[in-house]
Amino acid sequence: MNSSIKKSRIVHLNRITKIYGTNEHKTIVLQQISFQFLTGELILLIGPSGSGKTTLLTLIAGLTKPTTGTVSLFERNIEHYTPMELQQLRAKRIGFIFQTFLLIDSLTAIENVEVVLRFIGKPKKDVHLRATQLLNRFHIEYLSRRFPPTMSQGEKQRVAVARAVANNADLILADEPTGSLESKQGFDIIRLLQTYAKEQNKCVIVASHDLRLVEYADQILRLEDGMLREMD
Amino acid sequence: MDIYAVRILKSQPLRLILTIGGVSLCVILMLFLLAVYQGVADGSVEYIRKNCVDLWVLQSNATNILRGSSLVSAPQEQSIRQIPGVKSVSLVLLVLSTVKKGDKARTIFLTGFDPKDGIGGPPQIIAGRSIQGDNEIVLDKSFASKFKFTLGDSVKIQEHMLKVVGISSGTNALVIQYAFVTLHFAQKLMGFPGIATCFLVQVKDINNIDEVANEIRNIVPGIEVYDHKTFLENNIQEMESGFLPLLYTVALIGAVVLTVILSLLLSVNILERKKDFAVLKTLGSPPGFLKRIIIVQALLISFTSSIVALIIFFPLVKVIERISPEVTTKLSVEQILAVISVVAAMSLISSFISMQKLRRIYLLEVFK
Repeated sequence: MNSSIKKSRIVHLNRITKIYGTNEHKTIVLQQISFQFLTGELILLIGPSGSGKTTLLTLIAGLTKPTTGTVSLFERNIEHYTPMELQQLRAKRIGFIFQTFLLIDSLTAIENVEVVLRFIGKPKKDVHLRATQLLNRFHIEYLSRRFPPTMSQGEKQRVAVARAVANNADLILADEPTGSLESKQGFDIIRLLQTYAKEQNKCVIVASHDLRLVEYADQILRLEDGMLREMD
Repeated sequence: MDIYAVRILKSQPLRLILTIGGVSLCVILMLFLLAVYQGVADGSVEYIRKNCVDLWVLQSNATNILRGSSLVSAPQEQSIRQIPGVKSVSLVLLVLSTVKKGDKARTIFLTGFDPKDGIGGPPQIIAGRSIQGDNEIVLDKSFASKFKFTLGDSVKIQEHMLKVVGISSGTNALVIQYAFVTLHFAQKLMGFPGIATCFLVQVKDINNIDEVANEIRNIVPGIEVYDHKTFLENNIQEMESGFLPLLYTVALIGAVVLTVILSLLLSVNILERKKDFAVLKTLGSPPGFLKRIIIVQALLISFTSSIVALIIFFPLVKVIERISPEVTTKLSVEQILAVISVVAAMSLISSFISMQKLRRIYLLEVFK
């Protein structure tokens, strides 16, 4: 990445706490977490299962609200977004990669990518062109007309990455993206995301319990007992 | 994304076929009811419509001939004939009677008219000819077909033998069919010469029709006078009051069944793809996107079902008419379009009902 590219703040977590349940049944999932996520970085969020990694991702995406504290997304408190604005934000500026990729089985690979482009209101012709370019970029043009159930995990993974970056998202949230992959495929996906963060000056947040990914991360955050710790 | 809607439907072919089958049956039911209604409506009042005289004169308090009794007499006829504006007076006598062929006895609406002037006779003869004498009869097509009467057959009414000389159409009122004999024979059957159900009056100058009608009312006591349009409307109204409530009830049941079938399919499709829909929501699908998928599915099913129903309907009606000739159907393009519009409207209602399921799709499901 060109060092002259200016990094900007995408997400700002300010003393956020997330509690599920009430009174004696309450569970503190996240506790007094503060952090800033910048563009041009791949941030690895590690921690054991149930440590709150996914909850943190859903807070950042605006899918759920913190019990206390504030989440600022693109320099605006998430509480100040209307549901419609949040939907548009997810469509236009956020990309998602899920643990099992969650491609739509009834749609072909190219349609899975096109669907996201449709959400941002691109003209039909441009949608197809952009989706084709993305499949070429990730070397999966041969999958264009194939449906997810006929694809390998590695192929699904690449389609999922193509879908996540289709809208040129400023923020990619990846939840255990290597969880269902073999080592090589897992490293492939992280490298793709790392390249995207560096070359496009975007912010990629990867939640994982796979410690082998640390060498690809610009920052490593460890979640344990609801607390966030930066690791060197 | 319409292709997605289609793929969802195609992913469960058996369910799709069953749904289209169910909706098609509902469409056929609605088309059939409408066609029967139109057939009955025409058959019930075609006789009146085709006998387009200026005035219909009935006994006081009688408004129609379908479900009302009226008796008028020869002296009243003479009084009407003497009114200066009256050109002609024809008598019609309607009698519920039994026609026998061999050991079979069937009830029929026997219509006595004067074959010399032809007024009050069958609206259309489709085989043979009209009657000329007392020993002849014209039978309704459906009646003749159902009970296997053909031209030249002899039928027995009371102790009289009559020869079938003609077959008429537009004379089937579903529950009863018209047959035509001479006025003289009908009066003889009743045992009251000179009696009739109504007078069919022609006026000399159509511009004076109201004056003539008033004159008849003034001179002849105990009668009602109607112009042709009013009398036709009275009979249509009478026919509808007996038939339409049944039609509406069955049609409503058909529409409700259609809506339920469609709503079930659409709801099951949503529930089965809960995760897909949650993914689409998380990825930022606009509010109308998922709703559009549901609506497209509903409209695709209703359109396909309507086509299937139309393909099946016409051959099916032919079979039904062959088995039950008294069932006469009639269907216009406008009526078909009306049914398809109703089906489309019901499918939209189904999609709106099913859309409620979308509210139960939570974005966080994709992170489970």
